Amino acid sequence: MERLLNIDRRIIFAFVFVGVAVPLLIDFSFPIKPTEPVQRVYDEFERVASEDDPVVLLAFSYGASTVPEMQPMSLAILRHAFSRDIKVVAICLWPEAPGLAQAALDQVAGEYGKEYGTDYAFLGYKPGLWAPIINMGQDFHDAWPRDTQGTLVGDIPVTANIRNLNDFNLVFDFAAGDSIEFWWIPFGVEKYKFAFSGGCTAVMAPDLYPFLQSNQLRGMIGGLAGAAEYEKLVEIPGSATAGMRAQSIAHLIIVAFILIGNAAYFASRRRGAA
Amino acid sequence: MTRDSMLFLGFIGIFVILNAILLVGGYLDMSWTSLGVITAAGLTVSLYSFLYRDNPLFKLAEHIFVGVAAAYIFGIYWYQSLYGEVVVRIFGIGDDPATMTQRLLLLVPSVLGLLILTRMSVKIGWLSRISFAFVVGVGAGFTIPRYISAFLLSQIEATIRPITMDVDGLNLLLILIGVVSVLVYFFFSVEHRGVVGGISKVGIWFLMISFGASFGYTIMARLSLLIGRIRFLLDDWLHVM
Amino acid sequence: MFLTRTLPTLLAFAFGAVAVLIYYIPHGVAQEIERELSLWLRILYAFAYFLGLYSILNLHWTRIQRRQGGWAYSGVAIASFLVMFLFVVYNDGAGPFAPQASAGGYQWMFTYIHVACSSTMFSMLAFYIASAAYRTFRARSSDAAILLVAAIILMVGRVPIGHAISDFFPEAVAWLMEVPNLAAKRGIILGVSLGAIATSLRIIFGIERSYLGGGDE
Repeated sequence: MERLLNIDRRIIFAFVFVGVAVPLLIDFSFPIKPTEPVQRVYDEFERVASEDDPVVLLAFSYGASTVPEMQPMSLAILRHAFSRDIKVVAICLWPEAPGLAQAALDQVAGEYGKEYGTDYAFLGYKPGLWAPIINMGQDFHDAWPRDTQGTLVGDIPVTANIRNLNDFNLVFDFAAGDSIEFWWIPFGVEKYKFAFSGGCTAVMAPDLYPFLQSNQLRGMIGGLAGAAEYEKLVEIPGSATAGMRAQSIAHLIIVAFILIGNAAYFASRRRGAA
Repeated sequence: MTRDSMLFLGFIGIFVILNAILLVGGYLDMSWTSLGVITAAGLTVSLYSFLYRDNPLFKLAEHIFVGVAAAYIFGIYWYQSLYGEVVVRIFGIGDDPATMTQRLLLLVPSVLGLLILTRMSVKIGWLSRISFAFVVGVGAGFTIPRYISAFLLSQIEATIRPITMDVDGLNLLLILIGVVSVLVYFFFSVEHRGVVGGISKVGIWFLMISFGASFGYTIMARLSLLIGRIRFLLDDWLHVM
Repeated sequence: MFLTRTLPTLLAFAFGAVAVLIYYIPHGVAQEIERELSLWLRILYAFAYFLGLYSILNLHWTRIQRRQGGWAYSGVAIASFLVMFLFVVYNDGAGPFAPQASAGGYQWMFTYIHVACSSTMFSMLAFYIASAAYRTFRARSSDAAILLVAAIILMVGRVPIGHAISDFFPEAVAWLMEVPNLAAKRGIILGVSLGAIATSLRIIFGIERSYLGGGDE
């Protein structure tokens, strides 16, 4: 029993690796059922699509370290927006985000034949954590004077008439850190009262439930599982859906390890007491 | 030759052979994209070699990353912020529409920004305190009213809603009990005994469920990242998916 | 002393007080000040990046100069910085005073080195967290047992296999997240925000001055 408790950690590593790799190589699937917070995001975009000349602000607040979790989410949201003819203005609040946002925009705009300038615009990154949010709340053109190619936002059709955050039908933040909770909600939503939803890494998701209930956050996509649910809703399976096989099996392996660890612990404790 | 050295050389050998097979088999070609995939795969596997133990390959990949990351972010800050927003606007370069007042006002953060850089000097480093005073002061001032409204008032308002005689009402009651008991647990000015002790014990139960959920979600997040990297290795590099 | 400590403290008070007051004044001038201050703040953050860059390059340069253990790796860090820096300046032929090109060496290095390394580093935590869960995640007490059960229900119920096993798991996860987790997180938010407000007040009134750094020089 002691040997089981002191197993070489590399054996656990090997199980985790196999638990992820093998399900990726074998083709099978589990049914994916969207949860309520994800459904609420979908409904928000559908609401926006039904409004006149809809335009959303997508804020990319994640970096390279969370690409496998966040990029599938960005692609799913962009696909939903473009498929429903919603115009997109993209900004970045994280210095590593521009390359990732550009890649996502190029890919999905290409898929739907969307034109830069009239259907979407990409304005790049501004430093200052939450400071750009206050700046945008007061004057959007002051916060983002030009796009990444140096064109004045006043000369880009999709941004020309945007005065502040209230001119967007929806603001959506892709967050790897605490940008939803500690940037957008206190420094944006609280004062300017715009419609706001977000997607975040699974690490951040539990912290956001109080804001879902208070409706300061209208919907939330949490982690790769949330992204897979969104792919299900927009009916375009992507890498998040494919990843759910591996995610499910790996979770079961870790749960099994926890149960075995506890069984061994209690058995050795009972033996010690005897 | 030690066992680790043999493993190290064997690892490099296998990597070279695999890439040769992929190139000969036509899965990868001599394009920049394929070279990129091979580079990314090499770095990924080198970093994972740390799981066996710390080694020179891991350190090499780690330091390459540090250097590239620092310069990448320089690229972002340079054009999109410092040059595009400060230099261009102050000097009115190109089609910049800034008014004279806007240009003059921009001198203030520019000077404060330059003062921040004095931190690099031992002699005049104290000048940076003026800039830090601005950042910290404005940050504190912006924070107070917004935190009161967004966190204290809105969150309390959402907690004390009318309780109805159904499942939703019961859940609202549980949320109220949970919030109050957690706050009592965090209130250390009173000794946690008797009624206060009992309430704070309930608070601990709520916190434990919350920490358990956070732990489960954290495992989920890390596994998602691992899935992404293994997918890259199996699909983009090895083409076995 | 006045320039090094008193003046910064007075400035923090003045700017802090103005930033609080303008929030409550709906007049156009107050809103203009708010806009201007937020603009200044984000420009200052851009300058602060260079402080971080100096710090990291200085650290590696010092290691090389002093031939400290592993100094060659510091050389690798500086060399890779310089290569990427040259790509930034070259900017796919457009030079440093043009918008950053969305193709070329800069993007190549970002995609295949930066993204690859960064996401791999974080993904390695999956292995360590699994190992830690096996070794330390024990139901030693009733509190620990609650934590363990909640984590297990979540890990099974939050992924599609949970649906496949039983509807109990996703329904239990939804309730755990929306009731007890929500209540605990709300308690934490209220505590954290009270702390942040108190710290902000201490900064404005000059009680908290750690941002000035040590010494009176």
